[in-house]
Amino acid sequence: MKPSIRKTVFAGMAGLSLAGTVAGCAPSAQQPAAQETEPSAPASASATASAAPGPSAGAAAGYKDGTYSADGNYKSPNGTETVGVQLTLAGGTVSAVEITEHPSNPNTRKFQGEFAGGIADQVVGKSLDEINVSKVAGSSLTSGGFNQAVEAIKAQAL
Amino acid sequence: MPHPGWQGFRFDGIGTSWEISTPAPLPPVLRSSVLAEVERYDSTWSRFREDSLVARIAAAPGQYELPPEAAGLAALYRQLYTLSGGAMTPLIGESLERLGYDPQYSLRPRGEAAAPPAWDAVLEWHGTSLRTTAPVVLDIGAAGKGQLVDLLAEQLGSHGVPEFFIDASGDLLNGSTEDGGQEPVQVALEHPYDATKAIGTVPLGSGALCASASNRRAWGDGLHHVLDGTTGAPVRTVVAAWALADTALEADALATALFLVPAEDLERHFRFSWLKVFSNGSAEYSAEFEGRLFT
Repeated sequence: MKPSIRKTVFAGMAGLSLAGTVAGCAPSAQQPAAQETEPSAPASASATASAAPGPSAGAAAGYKDGTYSADGNYKSPNGTETVGVQLTLAGGTVSAVEITEHPSNPNTRKFQGEFAGGIADQVVGKSLDEINVSKVAGSSLTSGGFNQAVEAIKAQAL
Repeated sequence: MPHPGWQGFRFDGIGTSWEISTPAPLPPVLRSSVLAEVERYDSTWSRFREDSLVARIAAAPGQYELPPEAAGLAALYRQLYTLSGGAMTPLIGESLERLGYDPQYSLRPRGEAAAPPAWDAVLEWHGTSLRTTAPVVLDIGAAGKGQLVDLLAEQLGSHGVPEFFIDASGDLLNGSTEDGGQEPVQVALEHPYDATKAIGTVPLGSGALCASASNRRAWGDGLHHVLDGTTGAPVRTVVAAWALADTALEADALATALFLVPAEDLERHFRFSWLKVFSNGSAEYSAEFEGRLFT
């Protein structure tokens, strides 16, 4: 079992799903972590995988043809989220990579659900300076006490 | 200012900043009256004050008489408690404190997340009458700010101020009407991760627009203040929600409920419009938000 290929796939996938706009602006989105992934089938034969997606996926020896799937966790700005990846090896080459979204994921639900309104795949931010508005609906201003406590904890963590 | 030439009255209340905008400056007596109402509300409902009614309720079980606005809170919370299968509950204070969101702002978890007691196990809350069978930490944070907005709007109305705009740090109520000749106010929808940006704009005519976002009161490793009342653990995936409704009480509560209840279920019981943004950057919305988002 070689973890390198899985890690590459997961890092690439997580980067993809977090690369855009709203999610991409979150501080923690800069370090998508692929952790705790286990293939559902053992991989221990002698083929060479050489065409894994992702710029840093190098050749990795020792994979047997077949279909592998695993769940991966990554840190989204809002906590840990789970996605599934299915990877097909043929002739030692990765012939297919499929990201299987779990039912709790909004991407899955949006295809299953029926909505009175609509769906946006990616919303993007525009600077408030560029928009002609006099009011903002949001929740950025929190209590002074709360913010002070967060700062104090940050200071202790240095 | 929502309209050119309007005057703003700014103050701090219930732990956040407020601005009431009106065509003419508010008279001093009305300002005092507004501040007194804010203080009265805070001294009743704040979980963060030792002298509050909520603090007394937390100290000992018993029979309590609540102020008039309790009736509106009880009805709305009970309805959303039922619709959410217990996920949205005024008893969530205990779970929040356990995770560190306590009056001392320790922000340090005291243990694993834990669900609060079931409503009917500890609470009999009808109108202004509350009976508890155990010490309970009430937290009406999901609706309290909105309700206070409505209470201040009532004050303005009763003092003969027909046109006003209340901004409670991003929870908004437009007290003007188009019949009264005012155009709707264009409002930016704050980017969940960057307060200098917006993800869209929406016109706010008469009524309320409230937001709830999980990232603002976050204190580390997936801990934030929007908890699932069935588990006591923070809700994942939805990062921000907006609700447009006639009253700020409903808009505020529904903005939180959108984290916990499918919007379609809420639509069957409330007249409101909604927008949800997920942590992967996608969004779902009702018709009112069609074409309003930047994509």
